[in-house]
Amino acid sequence: MLSIAEIWQWLFDVTNWEGRYGLVNLFFEHMTLSFSAILIAALIAVPIGVAIGHLGKGEAVVVAISSISRAIPTMGLLFALVMFMGIEFRGFAVTLALIIIAIPPILAGSYAGIKAIPQTISQASKAQGMTAQQLIWHVELPLSAASIIGGVRIAYIQVVSTVVLAPLIGLGGLGFGIIQGLALRDFAQVTASAVIIVFITILGDRLIGFAQKLTAVKLAAVEIDR
Amino acid sequence: MEWALKNLELIFDLTITHLWVSLIPLVIGSVIAIFLARIVPKRFAGSVNGTLGALYAIPSLALFVALPALIGTNYVGPINVVIALSLYVVASMFFSARDAFNQVPAPAIFIARAQGMSPWQRIIHVELPLAIPGLIAGLRVAAASTVSMASIGAVVGVRNLGYLFLDGFQRKIADEIVTGLFAIFVIAIVLDAGLWFLNKVLTPWSKKSVQHA
Repeated sequence: MLSIAEIWQWLFDVTNWEGRYGLVNLFFEHMTLSFSAILIAALIAVPIGVAIGHLGKGEAVVVAISSISRAIPTMGLLFALVMFMGIEFRGFAVTLALIIIAIPPILAGSYAGIKAIPQTISQASKAQGMTAQQLIWHVELPLSAASIIGGVRIAYIQVVSTVVLAPLIGLGGLGFGIIQGLALRDFAQVTASAVIIVFITILGDRLIGFAQKLTAVKLAAVEIDR
Repeated sequence: MEWALKNLELIFDLTITHLWVSLIPLVIGSVIAIFLARIVPKRFAGSVNGTLGALYAIPSLALFVALPALIGTNYVGPINVVIALSLYVVASMFFSARDAFNQVPAPAIFIARAQGMSPWQRIIHVELPLAIPGLIAGLRVAAASTVSMASIGAVVGVRNLGYLFLDGFQRKIADEIVTGLFAIFVIAIVLDAGLWFLNKVLTPWSKKSVQHA
């Protein structure tokens, strides 16, 4: 069995941090891949989710998309897109796969956030003469922010977990140490890379969770009034 | 399509392995999740949920290869995958299972108590059956993601349907990858339908109560 000392030794070896496949480079590649995909997915999914929640039309589509997406293996989707688009466009294909993976949870979170707003609130806003735009910007978006961020959080978990597989198609990212280590039977490298991935992913998840808490609005007083 | 027809035997074998590697974690994980959900006192529920949430965030491949260092298993093979997937099932079901138990109508519990049932009798014969719709709803969500996540086990040498992705990619056979995607999707749908049916069979009263209302 691997000792902790061996893992430490690997982690504190400077040569493992420098160069094209050093941890620093892999970390930035990991983050760039993850966050660009999540950002693009959010730019697509939030407006659609908010519109569906606001208009109350097309809800079945959101539910269908989010339940079907769970049954699609991300690894297969990733490999299929790279294969069909060509290995030379793999960077683009990975981003596209990650966007496809990130859209359903963000869409569901945005839709659910708007949907959860008590009718009394939107009715009161309309009664005060708010236009549809004002209603969305000043009432619906602030009240559903926590739910939207909750969707982003699930998207983040799924995207990062897929980015770990990127080395399988010849890209970098922190999964590199796992894939290379498994091939070379260098289990100190495998475990150290896994530990780094676990640490960074949980840290990111907690940060998004914190943002979720900050934006959460308590509507308890409104509920009592009804 | 041609590729799939020529390799039916391989696809069948991989499907059987895929089923085992998904179903065992689903059974182990849901039993643990249901047990925990009922047994963890309210004041610890938040911290248990937080811990499980962090666990759920861990990328599957990282968890597969982190387990050997923790519990001394082999790096390659199905054991780590089964354990990791079970943990994900627990993490994804805990919250909804707690909800399912909380939704059990209070009068049902009072009546069970008044009839002299012991706590365990009450849980087994009253709470558990009444919580089934909620529990199975959570299990359906877990089942779909477990079946698709299991494919990543192929990276650590489990010969399940994920093998079609790795092999198809290396040999540049697009049909093989598409076959894998399709097969996993079909398994997920069949499993989902099966759980829906199980819910119907296990809660024959739910139809009647709708009629009364």
